[in-house]
Amino acid sequence: MEALITFVLNFIYSSATLALIVLGLAMVFGLLGVMNMAHGEFVMLGAYSAYVVQSLGLNFIWAIPISILVCVVVGWLMEWTIIRHLYNRPFDTLLATWGVAILIRKGIEAIFSRDYKSVDQVMPGTIDILGITYPSYRLILIAIIIFLFVTLFAWYQKSKTGLRIRAMVQNPGLASAVGIDTSRLSTVTFIIGVSFAGLAGVLLAPLVRVEPYIGLDYLLSSFFILIVGGLGTLEGLLIGSAVIGGSDALISTIFDKTAGYLSVLLLSILFLWLRPDGIYSRR
Amino acid sequence: MKRRDFIKSSLTAVAATAAFQTVAGKAMAGSVLKVGVMIPLSGPAGLFGPASKNVSQMAAEDINAAGGILGRQIEIIFGDAGLPPAEAAQTALRLWRGEGCEAFIGMHDSAVRGALINVFKEQVPYVYCPNYEGGECANGVYYVGETPAQSVVPTMTWLANEKNCKKFYLIGNDYNWPRDTNAIAKNTIADIGGEVVGEEYMPFTVDNFDSSLAKIKDSGADMVLITLVGGASVSFNRAFASFGLADNVMRLGTLIDENTLMGIGAENSKNVFSAASYFANIETADAKAFAESYSAKFGSKAALLNGLSTSCYDGLTALDAIAERAGGLSVKEMDSVAEGTAFGSPRGDAVMKNRHLTLDIYLAEAKGTDFKIVKTFSKQEPGNFCKA
Repeated sequence: MEALITFVLNFIYSSATLALIVLGLAMVFGLLGVMNMAHGEFVMLGAYSAYVVQSLGLNFIWAIPISILVCVVVGWLMEWTIIRHLYNRPFDTLLATWGVAILIRKGIEAIFSRDYKSVDQVMPGTIDILGITYPSYRLILIAIIIFLFVTLFAWYQKSKTGLRIRAMVQNPGLASAVGIDTSRLSTVTFIIGVSFAGLAGVLLAPLVRVEPYIGLDYLLSSFFILIVGGLGTLEGLLIGSAVIGGSDALISTIFDKTAGYLSVLLLSILFLWLRPDGIYSRR
Repeated sequence: MKRRDFIKSSLTAVAATAAFQTVAGKAMAGSVLKVGVMIPLSGPAGLFGPASKNVSQMAAEDINAAGGILGRQIEIIFGDAGLPPAEAAQTALRLWRGEGCEAFIGMHDSAVRGALINVFKEQVPYVYCPNYEGGECANGVYYVGETPAQSVVPTMTWLANEKNCKKFYLIGNDYNWPRDTNAIAKNTIADIGGEVVGEEYMPFTVDNFDSSLAKIKDSGADMVLITLVGGASVSFNRAFASFGLADNVMRLGTLIDENTLMGIGAENSKNVFSAASYFANIETADAKAFAESYSAKFGSKAALLNGLSTSCYDGLTALDAIAERAGGLSVKEMDSVAEGTAFGSPRGDAVMKNRHLTLDIYLAEAKGTDFKIVKTFSKQEPGNFCKA
């Protein structure tokens, strides 16, 4: 019973954090068609913001506005100088954003060196829940992520900006004809997307390792989720995260981690082959 | 000048210079001795590149100040060993045949070592520096790092006795070093009457250890032997502590260095033990002097010293000691006198035995993000991997 509860909590935790990581990438790719290879680097920037805030002795909460500020500035620069010239040229954006990813990685390496950094937990320790001992910060994180997704979903469905974005995605020409500034809207969407990545970095920093190359790991797992979940919907993203996180957790628990990782790769290959649009496609 | 002409003429110039250098290198043998130092300048182990570079330079300066090797001043030429084995081997070949290096030092993984041994074919002396899984005995190759027989056996036995550990869980990355280390650890566990309650090998890509942690908890293990490498070790140890396992379960590793401990963080480092032939804060006079002159030379913000980077110092010192004893740099001469060569280094006194070193092993306990030596195991024998 204890093992089952631990498994369920681990499953919810890994699905939730995966969903949080992939959210920004899904927005930018699903809505703008830009495959942002530097997505993981924005997660990394978020984690380093948390590290800087902590080493300055400030309250951890400051990491959130600071990471968003960093991501807005870097994201805006990136969109303004590179991305906006490459909309509708998917392969070129892929290469260009990969270049930016290297630049950000090396920049951080130049400032902070390659050494591992450690970010302390906001709420260290464990609490007893449902008869098992579980890390407190993980439970808080799960709650924050659920709240974030509910808010975002409501905003996207109800707000005017959400409506404009949906209009732009469905028919960019018609959207600009009725007076929607699609170029500005694209910039805003891109910036919001990378800011979510930064936020994910801040929230995860206390639990993971922090070094300049962590972005690559997050990019890879994000890919698998997008392949399985499909593009352009929050539902697909959540299902993708649950399928990838769940199969890894389940197979790893029954067999070992190698089998778990293998199952993720096999699933991704099967999806690419049989359902290239993913489980939940808007197309 | 037209662009094409410019490129052509510069290429000619480069080729001419290279040709001149090769010829000159051979003609002037007797003056400067070039030593190829293969260290990770890129890739996952690139983290250890800066400190390894600093330490190698320090060793070269110390050797030169004492008159060089065989009366010749040495010059270090670095090669990147952080590449895939085949490319690293190409780099080494270029340093050897192209640049005229007459001896090699290597601080890199075992896969690269295998590739380099194939390139050198017993024709050039090669000192392999870091700790490794043991089992090698190629001609012309000298191993200055500790093997599991030295690092795992005494420390695990002592710690298990001290902390009354009976159930052991072995977790590592999936390649030969963790597997060979654990094979030796399992014998030790049997010898001390313990029980192996789990053994797991992780692909390098894994950064979520939840399922393993659940298994460790379930198994009732009271000691975990960690042979995860670098980032994986950091992620594992952080998650381990966050689940509240750190209070009652000892963690022992033979590759938890100063950098890894920084990443694990003070919050998560309770009951982390590390066994190695060097830690940056060993309290011996030699080690202290070394650490002081390192920070005096490269500043207090220089890349952290650890067992891996410092092993480059031992590598160059060993090369010096064996070559002086042999009176030459040929593999034959050096092999014939290597046995019994003694030398001192920052980590203590060492004697070469079966192409490996008999040396002191330290067991350190993490206190925050620092190591504190809790026990020294002096003069540990490397074991014999050389068939008669």
